[in-house]
Amino acid sequence: MNFIVVGCGRVGAELSYRLFKSGHQIIVVDSNRESFNRLHPDFRGRTLEGDCLAENVLDRAGITEANGLASVTNSDTLNAVVAHTARSFYKVPVVVARNYDPTLRVVIESFGLQTVSSTFWGAQRVEELLINPSQRMIYSAGNGEVEVYEIIIPETWSGSTLGKLLEPLKQCFPVAVSRAGRSALPELGTVLQSGDALNISTTYDGIGALTARLSEKAEA
Amino acid sequence: MFVLIAGGGRTGARLASLLLNENYKVRLIENRRNLLSLLHQELPTEVIYEGNPIDPTVLEAAGIREAHAVASVTSDDSMNLTISFLAKKMFDVPRTIARVNNPNNAWLFDEKFNVDVSLNQADVLAHLIQEEMSLGDMMTLFKIRRGRYSVVEEKIPAGAKAIGTLLKDMALAEHCVIAAIIRDGVMTLPRGDSTLRENDEIIAVASPEGAHRLAELLSAPVHPERSGGRKTS
Repeated sequence: MNFIVVGCGRVGAELSYRLFKSGHQIIVVDSNRESFNRLHPDFRGRTLEGDCLAENVLDRAGITEANGLASVTNSDTLNAVVAHTARSFYKVPVVVARNYDPTLRVVIESFGLQTVSSTFWGAQRVEELLINPSQRMIYSAGNGEVEVYEIIIPETWSGSTLGKLLEPLKQCFPVAVSRAGRSALPELGTVLQSGDALNISTTYDGIGALTARLSEKAEA
Repeated sequence: MFVLIAGGGRTGARLASLLLNENYKVRLIENRRNLLSLLHQELPTEVIYEGNPIDPTVLEAAGIREAHAVASVTSDDSMNLTISFLAKKMFDVPRTIARVNNPNNAWLFDEKFNVDVSLNQADVLAHLIQEEMSLGDMMTLFKIRRGRYSVVEEKIPAGAKAIGTLLKDMALAEHCVIAAIIRDGVMTLPRGDSTLRENDEIIAVASPEGAHRLAELLSAPVHPERSGGRKTS
């Protein structure tokens, strides 16, 4: 497939190389020639030096034939404008915009664009790992508003039912319980054992509440 | 009328002063420290709102919901486009005006980003300069309709083709109307049977083609010598 990557910073260079390695045709656009030095030495896609808002630059990048475009510069307004133009004017089938400054995420979202908030997402992941090294995040939906975690049932909750554990936690949805390498769809009546791996779909607040509850002792 | 200005550079500050003199309600948003101190010297404190003009919460706090027009005049084209887009999309602002910094980006300043009026500064300036060079002694008093039409003034030189011809016979292009003749300091409103004399001054409303035709009719038969220039003959 043909992809256009706008912005050859660290995200752009890494993204371009990954797409190239998966066998796609890539063109990276950046207004500063020096930026292309960040590209992996094995990268064999095209580079285009130019102002990405200029009509002739977008045309030369092949925007009318592109299967997808990612705007990943470190300017939120530039990403919003490039992505909106690609989607609404050139009808590029898939368009993704990077959100750089978390306070401006609402700006990109108001264009109705697919957004990846790399700064916000990265900070939240690091925070989660620092505060709760025992939980493992397995899947992150959207920009991390909903995530699926794996938690290990501690000794204190052995013998309680799943329903009892989750009773006060309205934001926690069980996805799977694994025991001795076999997983099963969870039921609220499932009796937990110490060492069970429980997969939970929840929010950032939800996992905090669940962690707090797990550290309490189960009521008799 | 309440006008919200995004961007407090020279253009934004100048615009705010002009509008305040015309008794508009004005609010100017700027967040760059170095500019803010300058702005506070030029504008009343209540006019200046400190904040990032692309942040919707800042726009709202600055009163965008009551604004009749938003003028985005920052030095960053993607910011001006984004502000115009948000102004209509999120806040239903009736009129958006945006400054084009880089002429290559001008093609985006239309309904693609909810821009009602775009002002391409390089383009406007270049056209004004071109016109001043080509129209000889004709002086542009001011521009209307984004610079497409001008109100011009010219003094009739000796030997001009138009001297003695009835106005109605002048074959002025359809885009030019002579609105006033000033003779010996007295202004008269011309009619079809008026004629021009040497040293009359006229005021005309003209399109670019109209102005060219007018310049031709009113020009002296030969180009004047450049004063101070070296004569070649």
